[in-house]
Amino acid sequence: MQKRSICAGKDEIMFEQLAEIITNYVEVKKEDIRPESRFIEDLGFTSFDFMSMLGEVEDELDVEINQEEAANIRTVQEAVDYLTKLQ
Amino acid sequence: MNELRSTIYELLEKAAEAYGNRDAVRYKVKEAGQGGKKETKVEAKTYAQLGEDSRRFSAALADLGEQGKHIAIVGATSYGWITGYYGIVNGGSVAVPLDANLPAEELCELIDRADVTTLLYDGTKENVALMASEQCAGLKHLIAMEEGSGGSGALSMHELLARTAAREGNTAAGYIPRPEDLATIMFTSGTTGKSKGVMLTHRNLAENATALDMGYEPGIVLMSVLPIHHAYCLSMDILKGMSVGAVICINDSLLRVAKNIKLFEPNMILMVPLMVETLAKKLEEASFIPAPLVKAKVFGKQFHTICSGGAYLNPSYISMFRKYGINILQGYGMTECAPVISTNCDSAQKAGSIGKCMPNCRVKVVDEEIWVKGTSVMQGYYKMPEETAQTLEDGWLKTGDLGYVDEDGFLFLTGRKKNLIITPNGENVSPEEIENKLGANRLVQEVLVRESEGVIEAEIFPDLEYAAKKKIKDLRGELQGIIDAYNETVPLYKRVFSLKVRDVEFEKNTTKKIKRF
Repeated sequence: MQKRSICAGKDEIMFEQLAEIITNYVEVKKEDIRPESRFIEDLGFTSFDFMSMLGEVEDELDVEINQEEAANIRTVQEAVDYLTKLQ
Repeated sequence: MNELRSTIYELLEKAAEAYGNRDAVRYKVKEAGQGGKKETKVEAKTYAQLGEDSRRFSAALADLGEQGKHIAIVGATSYGWITGYYGIVNGGSVAVPLDANLPAEELCELIDRADVTTLLYDGTKENVALMASEQCAGLKHLIAMEEGSGGSGALSMHELLARTAAREGNTAAGYIPRPEDLATIMFTSGTTGKSKGVMLTHRNLAENATALDMGYEPGIVLMSVLPIHHAYCLSMDILKGMSVGAVICINDSLLRVAKNIKLFEPNMILMVPLMVETLAKKLEEASFIPAPLVKAKVFGKQFHTICSGGAYLNPSYISMFRKYGINILQGYGMTECAPVISTNCDSAQKAGSIGKCMPNCRVKVVDEEIWVKGTSVMQGYYKMPEETAQTLEDGWLKTGDLGYVDEDGFLFLTGRKKNLIITPNGENVSPEEIENKLGANRLVQEVLVRESEGVIEAEIFPDLEYAAKKKIKDLRGELQGIIDAYNETVPLYKRVFSLKVRDVEFEKNTTKKIKRF
């Protein structure tokens, strides 16, 4: 896990927020979530869990996620990139 | 409150008459609120408005010379989609609902194969309209569903409705469909082979939707979450729902099911088993909280019923949801039967069964295969005489499903005929029967059983979350243990001799069924 610098970048903050939400959906410790973790293969999401989590992310971050685009997201980093772009 | 209707026209007209100013459809709209921030609002259309708008759309199609022609609809569930569908079939044309998740090339192929002359599409499918206008030779008109859209030579549904509304006198198309008229061609989303265009008449669809009284009262709130082009959703949510005066709430995205449940406060939702399983996990996670509180938080106090169909649902979920005061009614059907063949309902249900046969049909079992006859059975596959002849015999639909009927008339499924594994010594083994047994174990999230190099093989995608929770380290060993335990309970020819462990979910088709081959 990368150390957080004093001036945390936008995507680092996003990573932190997302990791927090992920722990509400699957049995995984926040410190075990890495940028390269894959939602389904590594973190144990089902496709419908993943969709439900994104619904919560929408509320938390006040963004609107496109379901078709979201279906292409595989790793935590890809989600961070996508969400940072939306904000 | 349930009366038999033999045309979709009759179904909607009677509903518009009986439930005129009640809400038929509720959906979300985004509006710019204070400070430029978008706010979500719920809008509604009444039965009277839906009746009027669909008559206008029938008239608009007649003006375009499209009466009796094949009109494709592609897009997410919306008021425009529903209005379009009723307008098409009630004006004497044939609706061809298409799967919005398919790639544009495949949609164009289906448009050609179904001899479609007009395409009605929503804002997310402009690429399909563009490609179809260039590639599909038979296509004459494009109609954009949304207000303000409709560029590049497309007509606007909104303007067409406004134009026919301004006309004096009767706005309808002057055509009343007969029960035997073709209403819809629906493409199967089979897990194997080329998709087939199932031809369904007004009688097929209307009688399937209205033959069984499931005890719904007018005003019951349904939330529609499944894709609307799918027979199960179109028939059970839209047609059956509206025949009894239900309020249909449109779930705008699978991302927002939980949020939309809170917003619309439904009494009932139609689901596929995958969704039931995910919701079961949510309930289970909060099992230390009293059941009524969990249920109120996840579904709301008003919620009482889930209809499950489209694939096998493990009966253990039915008893689990009952603890929370939620009744899961499992049904069975196929597009070829418009689509419901049997269903459990409040007054008649049995665990593990897919319910009693619909009153407008009867079933018989031929060599273990379920055959169905009655007014729901399709006319055949569009322009596929060979496939039709293989599937229909003297009016009997050969479902390809294996099963039996018990002494009380309840139907039970044991597997798919075409998936049968024939062992070297000629024994028949149904892979689904084994899949269902192995799948009952909590560690098995998905399983596919097949023949591989002369032995029965099970490929398993384990529930990794559950494995982590139970601190299971040796996944393969644990799964092998499940198989060994199963093997001890069955004769030799049904035993699983090979195990494959997957680290990713199986690939699914758009109705979330595992692609078998």
